[in-house]
Amino acid sequence: MDAMPSPSAAAIAATPDSATVLAAARSAVRRIAPLWPLDSFVAVNPYFGLVDHRFAEAAATLARTAGARSTMPRAFYAAALADGRMTLADLQAALALAPPSSARLFDAGKLAAFAVSAESEGVAPLDTLADIARRRTRRDWAGQVVGRISSFAARHFDGGQASWRSPSESGGLYAAWKDEAAIDRAPEIAGIAGFRATVSALPDERDAMLVESVERLALSSGQLPAYFERLLRSVGGWAAFARGRDWPSELAGKQGETVVDLLAIRLAYEVALYTFLSDDALLRGAFSAARRAYAAPVDPLSEAGDCLLQAAYEQAWQRRFLPTLTRPEPSAAMGRPAVQAVFCIDVRSEVFRRALEAVAPGVETLGFAGFFGVALEQVAAGETAGDALCPVLLQPRFIVCEAVSPNAAAARRLGQDAGRVMRGFRGAAVSSFAFVEAAGLGYLGKLAADTLRLGRRGDASGAFGKPALDPAEREGRLTGIPAADRLASAAAILRGMGLTDNLARVVLLVGHGATTRNNPHAAGLACGACGGHSGDANALVAAAILNDPAVRNGLVGMGIAIPADTLFVAALHDTTTDQVSILDAAALPPSHAQDLALLKAQLAEAGKAARIERAPRLGITGDPSAEARVITRALDWSEVRPEWGLAGCAAFIAAPRALTRNVDLGGRAFLHSYDWRKDDGFRTLELILTAPLVVASWISLQYYASTVDNRVFGSGNKVLHNVVGGFGVFEGSGGDLRVGLPLQSISDGRELAHEPLRLTAVIAAPVDAIDRVLAAHDHVRALVENGWIHLLALDGEAMRRRTAAGWRTVEAG
Amino acid sequence: MPSFQAFIPFLAPLVMLAAAVFAGRHPGDPRRAQRFAEASGVAAVVVALATLLELVLGGRQTSPLIGVAGLGLSARIDALSVSMLLLVSAVGLVVLRFSSNYLAGDPGQARFAGGLALTLGAVMALVIAGNLVQLLLAFVATSLALHRLLVFYPERPKAVMAARKKFVVARLADLALAASLAIIWLRFGTGDIAAIAEAAKAAPAGATDTALILAAPLLALAALLKSAQFPSHGWLPEIVETPTPVSALLHAGIINAGGFLVLRFADVMMLTPPALHVLALVGGFTALFASAVMLTQPAVKVQLAWSTIAQMGFMLFQCGIGAFAIALLHIIAHSLYKAHAFLSSGTAVEAVRAASRSEAGAQAPSWRFALAGATVVVLAVLAWMLLPAATDPASLTLAGIFGLGLALLALPAAEGRGMTGSLVVALGTVLAASLAYALLHAAANHLFAAELPVASLQGTVAEAILVLAFASFALLAFLQLTAHRWIATPLGRAVRIHLANGLYLDALADRFMARPQTSSQS
Repeated sequence: MDAMPSPSAAAIAATPDSATVLAAARSAVRRIAPLWPLDSFVAVNPYFGLVDHRFAEAAATLARTAGARSTMPRAFYAAALADGRMTLADLQAALALAPPSSARLFDAGKLAAFAVSAESEGVAPLDTLADIARRRTRRDWAGQVVGRISSFAARHFDGGQASWRSPSESGGLYAAWKDEAAIDRAPEIAGIAGFRATVSALPDERDAMLVESVERLALSSGQLPAYFERLLRSVGGWAAFARGRDWPSELAGKQGETVVDLLAIRLAYEVALYTFLSDDALLRGAFSAARRAYAAPVDPLSEAGDCLLQAAYEQAWQRRFLPTLTRPEPSAAMGRPAVQAVFCIDVRSEVFRRALEAVAPGVETLGFAGFFGVALEQVAAGETAGDALCPVLLQPRFIVCEAVSPNAAAARRLGQDAGRVMRGFRGAAVSSFAFVEAAGLGYLGKLAADTLRLGRRGDASGAFGKPALDPAEREGRLTGIPAADRLASAAAILRGMGLTDNLARVVLLVGHGATTRNNPHAAGLACGACGGHSGDANALVAAAILNDPAVRNGLVGMGIAIPADTLFVAALHDTTTDQVSILDAAALPPSHAQDLALLKAQLAEAGKAARIERAPRLGITGDPSAEARVITRALDWSEVRPEWGLAGCAAFIAAPRALTRNVDLGGRAFLHSYDWRKDDGFRTLELILTAPLVVASWISLQYYASTVDNRVFGSGNKVLHNVVGGFGVFEGSGGDLRVGLPLQSISDGRELAHEPLRLTAVIAAPVDAIDRVLAAHDHVRALVENGWIHLLALDGEAMRRRTAAGWRTVEAG
Repeated sequence: MPSFQAFIPFLAPLVMLAAAVFAGRHPGDPRRAQRFAEASGVAAVVVALATLLELVLGGRQTSPLIGVAGLGLSARIDALSVSMLLLVSAVGLVVLRFSSNYLAGDPGQARFAGGLALTLGAVMALVIAGNLVQLLLAFVATSLALHRLLVFYPERPKAVMAARKKFVVARLADLALAASLAIIWLRFGTGDIAAIAEAAKAAPAGATDTALILAAPLLALAALLKSAQFPSHGWLPEIVETPTPVSALLHAGIINAGGFLVLRFADVMMLTPPALHVLALVGGFTALFASAVMLTQPAVKVQLAWSTIAQMGFMLFQCGIGAFAIALLHIIAHSLYKAHAFLSSGTAVEAVRAASRSEAGAQAPSWRFALAGATVVVLAVLAWMLLPAATDPASLTLAGIFGLGLALLALPAAEGRGMTGSLVVALGTVLAASLAYALLHAAANHLFAAELPVASLQGTVAEAILVLAFASFALLAFLQLTAHRWIATPLGRAVRIHLANGLYLDALADRFMARPQTSSQS
């Protein structure tokens, strides 16, 4: 942007120009992690915008701008030291790996003493003007501002809860807010005199408004990035949601504007408060001190001690965990297995895979991202658009419609119209009175049915029918998968899974979903690799492609020979109940009926074993038949912990299953099948490190952050959740939109169900191959070198750890 | 010939009290406290059924008094008390059972179970009260017991603030009720509620009883305050700061206590028509106001709370126009519906998704078509209802409003994708609903005939109120049918914003209630 002529030289020096202000705003925006709506709730790394900083430095930043904790209270580490889970040796190991700047502040003894030292109650972030006004006038302005913005944003983004809602506008969030703020009396009634006048006088154009506000608040360019970040984090839930709204345009390479708009709105409240309280000299003084604090650089070592304790805690965990992987494994080369069953890398698959291998030694299990490499948009019968069933880092490549008869589609449409009529009856103003009198008594039956768990079948029983793969057109969009794409996809899927030779008679592709009732966070239990949806459609499509005779012919030409008797079969793993059901079983050829009958029995038995293993953790005790209660509680509308999801996740292992086959990993490891010897040019390695590993790190950090500071990074207490707009939750009647996981997902109320650990990734591959991938992908290297994950390479029996300074040998425990 | 069966109803509050005491003594053993409370919940349902049996076999009766000078505790068995006891015990059992898993792991779970049991016990004591003293004590106790549940998380400033507002309103209601009951006691010379009703029935109809000129309005005031009517409604939407089961209990079992008071003293209220007119006007206005606000709310529990305010308004409006039996039907039906709506509010994500899915393919509605369809429906319902039924003005008005409600179905039907299909669905719904309505109203009038007067109000004022009510509901219905045409206009935007703020009554209350505070981080 060109420099604009300014009235005086002094003004140029004092007031940052438009380009500077906008650049500062965008840098603050980049630090906000996106949030997805609850119907496709996917795990997001809450530290998403901070991974290019070292962990301890990000912790210091977050303490300043969000008042967030980034590690557990010191008592947690002190307890681990006291009961021997963590030792002085672990403290030493952590110090040895720490960057010199923080390591030189402590030795093991000092660190142990630090663990038992007192810490300040709650971290106070830097002051916004609202914070200062709260202290000066002893009224909760900060809470008021969040409440007003939240009320506006909830109505603006409402996906259909209210019948009378804001018409969708193209002018952007700031413009919509400015229009509303000129009408809304609430801030003035709350006591900000002249609010509407102040807001009306602000420029209509957002960038001009930012510049003018910066000028009125007398902010200089050095103060802006931290101040803007602080403002966004004061409405952190909505900032995250706005970033999620911007995500599709960011994926398409454009800049998102919604978060910048939100920043402008939050800034407007600062200006209004400043104007309203302009004759308070003490407030002006306090704000000028605050401005200076924003300009001061972050002290990167302010949280160093706590971060070292966390690192030592992870060392202690690794000390117990890593030896299970390095012991020599009798890799009995199997002949042709009876069945190969491919599961999602999700940690919940590990329990089931171990159980299946135990009951059916002839079954080989593999781990692969649960969307099976087919990035779909799934369009249900009677619809014109649908959900993206792929990791959020990708865009769907194909649109696949559900193949149903026109009659069935019409019936479904009619059902929807009926639902629409009933919703209108129940929810409209005058008709709601009529509804209660005509139909209210019927709810006695509903209350009884729900209390007695007479629910319908499980959600995760395969709601999606047969996919239509033949190319077609619907509403101007191409659907189905053309023949050439099928071949390319098939080759990519098989190479990615390492299934290019020795294929079994039956290859089971197991997607996963979860049955749960009355749970706003239900999608959080579904398959993250499918964008927070059940993975049945992906499994069906992948199986259909791989069974296509034309595809198989084509694969021969690419050097992949699938035996003629190999049948790919789609299945769905219900992670709540550990039931695995074979999808579209009626369409499978009779030639494999016997194999499938046996497999079904084995899956049922494995499911039972998996439930027996999980039951105690769910609080179900008693005789072995208690496992059946694992199934019934999935249908319980009052159950706030239908399953533990990915709580406990700690490790990511990319290696042949032989390495882990006889190890009980306790449902805590993401398992990706990988054999570097089969990996031509390490392209699969590159894929694993840049996609599944990144997704696993997001999940792990989401659990981590929700555990160490649920107030900032979690969504609080489920019993208070209040679904807003169909896309998010409030905790209670209002306040900021909540992000992350509920308390009930990480704790049973007495003990943590998730042990806060940064992910330990073990990759069985040569270190130089790994280094080549890291060199080509800065964001993955940042995750590793800045301490967001631990990356270890297992090459033969040698285990080495990647640090910022390079590879270091890990001493065998 | 009083016998021990007359005391059966007392067992219900007693078992709940026992559960509360048990939970209080075992705060560290949530599992046993919870199990005891659920067992008590089952026992209370059994007691309610036994009371029903006694009503059928032994007829209406009041137990001997435990007290002195005609004042004290006694249990009333009649259609009103039995239906309320059945309702409260059933909802109570569902809520207790729900809380078992829902609050699992919460350090206060035993306290929570005890609080639920205590509150339920108080409500049960209220609905079976046969004597003024018991009625008043149980009324106050309900509110105090509930207060403990509202501040279940005392560290949440917004919960404390909302509970404080509610506390003030509840104490005003207590005062109004106490004063009213005192006058009633003086006027009728007895504390026995059944005897008071008999005496009131015997009084000349239509004439205003001067002794009651204060009692009835005070009773109406207590009812309006208790049932969160305009302008004392502000605390109800905020109280969703409390765990979901408390909301379910509050909205299904407690908020209707105002309506219950009016029904209990329906014969007394009939002696003072102006008090009923006030009920009708305030209730009717609240119904319109709160349901319009409800349409603008994006958060599910807050929306449900506004819906309750509106439904209670409508119920008190029905009381005010003399349709007491229908009001009781409304209380029962609304309680069951709202208990379910709160407990299942976690499904809002799916619900909104389903709604927006069907909206994605919806046709732009032809509003003329919708309007024409709506008019036909209103006329059809009115004609259908009134052909066989007696044409008293109150029933006529209620049927008209019911018809307006059904008429609104023309809108979703007009937007449907399979045009004929959705028309058939809408017509089927209209038919089924009006059949259910007619049958239920007839049944309610029949079942509650002994307890609740059916005579509707006479006189110019009453008729003016009925006309005003129908016209206002029709206006709101028209605004809804045409919303897509005005909602995006500048005026429409302003209306929507002011409504979304509940016309700022709450912001005003906040400002006056707000004590300087420094708590809570941003």
